[in-house]
Amino acid sequence: MSESGPSGQASAVLHPGDEQEKPEHSAIPYVVVWIALLFFTVLTYLTGKQHLGQWALPIAMAIACTKSALVALIFMHLKDSSGMPRLVFVTALAFLGLLMFFTVGDVATRFRPATPAGAPFGTERSQPEGLLEHETPE
Amino acid sequence: MSHDAAGLPEGIVGHHFSSLARQNEAMVLGMWLFLATEILLFAGLFVGYSVYRYQFPLAFAEGSRHLNLTAGTLNTVVLITSSFTVAMAIHFARTDRRIAAAVCLAITILFALAFLGIKAVEYTEHFHEHALPGKFYAFEKVMIPGAAMFYTLYFLMTGLHGLHVIAGMSVLSWILWRTLQGRYSSRYHTGIELGGLYWHLVDLVWIFLYPLLYLI
Repeated sequence: MSESGPSGQASAVLHPGDEQEKPEHSAIPYVVVWIALLFFTVLTYLTGKQHLGQWALPIAMAIACTKSALVALIFMHLKDSSGMPRLVFVTALAFLGLLMFFTVGDVATRFRPATPAGAPFGTERSQPEGLLEHETPE
Repeated sequence: MSHDAAGLPEGIVGHHFSSLARQNEAMVLGMWLFLATEILLFAGLFVGYSVYRYQFPLAFAEGSRHLNLTAGTLNTVVLITSSFTVAMAIHFARTDRRIAAAVCLAITILFALAFLGIKAVEYTEHFHEHALPGKFYAFEKVMIPGAAMFYTLYFLMTGLHGLHVIAGMSVLSWILWRTLQGRYSSRYHTGIELGGLYWHLVDLVWIFLYPLLYLI
């Protein structure tokens, strides 16, 4: 099959940026993303050091997700890619989410009758009751 | 190196592909499928981490505060900047600036070495404090239930990530060699892009490891 065949044309339409008559590829988005990533690193460092209690984890994860989105979209070119790599990436994240949700959900909803004797699961997880006998809770 | 009529290095397009654009698409998709399996590999550790952090919140917070936060933060900056330099290397390759691309790749490899060096300093500290995984754990400052699990997960996650840094460094060295040979240009730059994708994934994993391990 030659390059002028139907499939060659189809992929040319899918990848307008790969053709010869493209505008000069710009490095400005990379510089902007790099500065943004450094900013978010400082932000997560400063908020993390405050130990904000129950808000610490959601804030840290929100910043990490923002940083990852910037890397995936700009550095890894998902913004300009066709649908397939995006679908693969999102599918991997979806399976990570399923594994995380059901595993942590299982552990978090256990109660004493569903827990083997002596196991630290479910309602017994709360410390300082979990401390060893010779330890004194603060 | 011999070039064909279109100015591409000979043998670049496989005979089973109808065009270079099609081949590039297949290569990028294949790389993303591999990266998906890498995400799932790390997913197991992240889920294990979540379960044990849920069960031992105090031990994880206490263990985290005895890690070297300065080293962790410095390593985050190092990896983010190395991701930037690899993105610039690809940019220079696709705009036919071969030497600039090679310099950016060399800087990226130096950043990878710096990352491993800082990590080695941290591991040495843990070793001296006996903050070791599993049954070898004997860190006197944090002796509450679950502390050994924090350090076990810390070593497994940073260890697996470290192996990926070494693998990524090897891939980038090979790509640096190919760049110096003049393999990549505005006409063909998929190879250097795939190497860059792998390096960015190493960065992505660290972006989550940093707050989860150092900033509890």
